[in-house]
Amino acid sequence: MFDFSVITSNAGLLWDGLLMTLYFTVITIAAGLVIGLVIGLIQLSTFRPLVLIGQIYVEFFRNIPLLVALLWIYYAFPIFANLNITKFWAGFIGLSCYVGSFYAEILRAGVQSIDPGQTDAATAIGMSYSQRMRRIILPQAFRKMIPPLAGQSIIQMKNTTLLSMITVPDLLYQASYISSFTYRPMEIYTAVGVIFLILLVPLTMLSRRLEKVGGKI
Amino acid sequence: MTAETPLAKVPVEAANDSRANVLELDRICLAFGDKQVLKGVDLDVKEGEVVVLIGASGSGKTSLLRCINLLNTPNSGSINIDGEFIFNVDAEGSRRPAISQSEVNRIRSKTGMVFQQFNLFPHKTAIQNVMEGPVIVRGESKAEARKEALRLLELMGLGEHGEKYPRQLSGGQQQRVAIARAMAMHPKVMLFDEPTSALDPELVGEVMNAMVDLAKSGMTMVIVTHELGFAFEVADRVVFLDQGTVAEQGAPEEVLLHPKHPRLKSFVGRFHESADLLRPFLEARIQEEATEA
Repeated sequence: MFDFSVITSNAGLLWDGLLMTLYFTVITIAAGLVIGLVIGLIQLSTFRPLVLIGQIYVEFFRNIPLLVALLWIYYAFPIFANLNITKFWAGFIGLSCYVGSFYAEILRAGVQSIDPGQTDAATAIGMSYSQRMRRIILPQAFRKMIPPLAGQSIIQMKNTTLLSMITVPDLLYQASYISSFTYRPMEIYTAVGVIFLILLVPLTMLSRRLEKVGGKI
Repeated sequence: MTAETPLAKVPVEAANDSRANVLELDRICLAFGDKQVLKGVDLDVKEGEVVVLIGASGSGKTSLLRCINLLNTPNSGSINIDGEFIFNVDAEGSRRPAISQSEVNRIRSKTGMVFQQFNLFPHKTAIQNVMEGPVIVRGESKAEARKEALRLLELMGLGEHGEKYPRQLSGGQQQRVAIARAMAMHPKVMLFDEPTSALDPELVGEVMNAMVDLAKSGMTMVIVTHELGFAFEVADRVVFLDQGTVAEQGAPEEVLLHPKHPRLKSFVGRFHESADLLRPFLEARIQEEATEA
């Protein structure tokens, strides 16, 4: 019933798609972490207007379906802003902003879960805000943040498949392209599923390990 | 426990009023929302003086202590630590003169604070906890800070525990590490916020002994505690706070044995009751010791 020769004969296209998926996963997670750190710290500040800006950002990107955001940035935004945006930039911006809002929430929750006594103690020995954050609060918070960060990053890798909707040639885009001329979608989408499993199961196991290490402190 | 290795001994003559004020609090007011917690508290502490703050819960004693290093920011009043204003806001709310955040941090580090819940940094070993302030805030070299941290830990009877994490130490040991951490900044005044309240009864003694040694070495101390016996033994002055004001203060014998304020009478009454209950046992022990000697 299955004819896997379509996979082997089109392995090159799938490989290109896989590289594109990995590429977008890495760069959007990296950019998302930067966004998450900035927005998270903004939300933790005591200056009300800044906190509000952070909250608006988070709620905006958390509550719009990622597919809608991607389509809007690629098709609608260039018309409103009157500028050209490539599909790579649209994909990069959409995915980074989206995951950044989740990372920001993880950071905020992680920092707020640290006992206020830690801030008191660090303040009492004369530490400045940045010294407290860098030396005392964030190192403890990061340990607690490892499991949710790993979880969100795994979701992010799977979310890159939505890039195919704005014709970025990722793994799913290549799969639908291959099935359009081989008429073997079953084999090809099964292969895509297996590729994601092979990539993500070890990562899940790694995050479990890290969770145990982090839990010790 | 540390009779052989005292801190720098500072001879303190009795009734030496020429000593400078290390701490001057003037008309401190603090409100949390609508609740007026401190209603214009004045408190001066002289060099080498041990002041114990007592009062019922909610009387504002912990809030007052946290105002000294601005962990709580008062609404008005002035706080002078070792000749420098860390806070100076008059009743209209104008700040004269403005004090920058970095100045606040610098003046704040002239105080050392010990908390009820110890608040050690759990991701750092005992010695790293003690070194953190000197290395990060004062920019000392690690080697230098390490040497001093070891000396302080040994002083606290924790010489062998330097490489342990807080979770590997008992409550009493953790609190003594916390005292060493505060001492590492060479503070002008040490602030203690109910340092023995979170400890198992059998661990209270070791922390109190460390504090007694500290007091004997001439350290200026402000202590919030419910241990009136400790106050009686160690304090130069006992301050009774009631509803956000200083209701009565004076020598411990005066305040604890001959209270005048009605609420202070009922507050120390409980102490006297338990002391009366213990009297036969204490007298028996004194006699035992006398016959042994």
